[in-house]
Amino acid sequence: MTSSGTSTTSTSSAGTRLIAVDIDDTLNDFTSTLRRTPFPYTLQYSLPEKTFHRYLAKVRNDSPDPSDLLSTEYSLFRYKIHEECYRLAAARADAVDFMQWLKSRHWHIFICTRRDLRRAHGCTRSWLSDNGIPFDHLFSAVNKIAFCRAWGIPYLVDDDANSIAYGPGYGVSVFHPVSRQDTMADTAARAFRSFDEIKRWIQE
Amino acid sequence: MDPRVELLRAFSRGFTVGAAKVETARHGLRFLDELLSSGGRLEYGELTPLRLVHRYKVVDIPDDRMDDLMRAHVDKELNVCRYFNPAANDTFCFNLDNNHRTHSGVVIPEMELAIRALWQCLCELGCPPLIVASGRGFHVWCRLTESVDNDRLYRFMLPAAAVALASVHAAGYDHRNVKVNLYPHVQLQNAVSLRLFGSNHAKTGVFSHIWTVDGLLGEGASWDCFEEFVRNPKVSPDAIDAARTTLVGGVDLTRAADAARATRQCRGRFASSFESDALRPCGVGNGSWHGGR
Repeated sequence: MTSSGTSTTSTSSAGTRLIAVDIDDTLNDFTSTLRRTPFPYTLQYSLPEKTFHRYLAKVRNDSPDPSDLLSTEYSLFRYKIHEECYRLAAARADAVDFMQWLKSRHWHIFICTRRDLRRAHGCTRSWLSDNGIPFDHLFSAVNKIAFCRAWGIPYLVDDDANSIAYGPGYGVSVFHPVSRQDTMADTAARAFRSFDEIKRWIQE
Repeated sequence: MDPRVELLRAFSRGFTVGAAKVETARHGLRFLDELLSSGGRLEYGELTPLRLVHRYKVVDIPDDRMDDLMRAHVDKELNVCRYFNPAANDTFCFNLDNNHRTHSGVVIPEMELAIRALWQCLCELGCPPLIVASGRGFHVWCRLTESVDNDRLYRFMLPAAAVALASVHAAGYDHRNVKVNLYPHVQLQNAVSLRLFGSNHAKTGVFSHIWTVDGLLGEGASWDCFEEFVRNPKVSPDAIDAARTTLVGGVDLTRAADAARATRQCRGRFASSFESDALRPCGVGNGSWHGGR
């Protein structure tokens, strides 16, 4: 692998230690960025100003889209705002250290995100590179537990509620940031305050 | 070489060199090794919501390896999607999809109206398309005698797509039930790909039959139709400009100031809500992933 994370080297699952790591609200402060960043109204959003502010409030609150339609005016707007946050979000210092620690010990690292990489691939790869976060492969998956099971990945670092709830039951050890600990206290997933804790757990 | 692979090579001559998205249920590091063993670099992968179907965007694919992938495509071992050239193309496509999260594989009445309207519009304008049943909708391909700048293509495609959606609206349906994406798209260069003709749908396993007004053609007849389409492109770049003028006059639909007036010129009978939606840049593919994190 190169420093930018491209996959040119030969790989084999035999004897390779595999781990998958989410980006948003795991390696970075996505939600905090989304809520505190001012997004001034511009014509580039192709929306009336009133609609812009109504949609922005919904995006900041992570309100679900009640529509049965896949592609809507709101879904496009939400993507635009999220894409700005992909660039602006700050990496956790202990997360960067953890990822470099994994690489130095020859772990095979999958970045596994819900982002739509068809459009967000470039900014995602740039952000990882700019923050010195090494990886081997970049994947998007809505169901990360299904992804980990399919690829034989035993460890997942992720804040997603479904991963936390269902991962352990499907044989995937899930580690999640502590902010969700209260609501997920009854699951077998492990909450962490610092990425240093994961270093210990995956060597147990 | 399999003549079908030769056809796909000819069809793909203007697409981005060395880039493809491979769609398959195969996965794992050993498969990735195999996929990249003859050259190429994985940009990213996707696990789709369809069982374990994966998509892999591979770049820097050597020519002979691309031929191998095409062969696997016609043999239905995997599906190959290709990327339009970011500057100019001799092929363009309207991608009409059922825009619903649930029951998205059903051909809804709105789709029937839209596809017939678009087919009729393009034929009347001298740009007869090749229409492929894609699973959730249709790929409406047009082929030119030579490459045309993407901006120029887009200025034609936008009002033509509006005509299709106008027919849905005029019949009393909600046009938003049909999603129309334009390829190449001036704002989404290198981001979106389209599955080549000759594939089986990843979820249903159904072949990508050619659509005609009389119904879907069988697999053999579909390949014959595809061959005719590839070997004999009939539309010149000038014909595209003339078709756009017929649709919207001399205005530029990509300019907001001209948009509403031009849209009315397409076929009339638009509601104001339709105008803003139809002229909004189209969303990409599976909208359920918009804004995911």
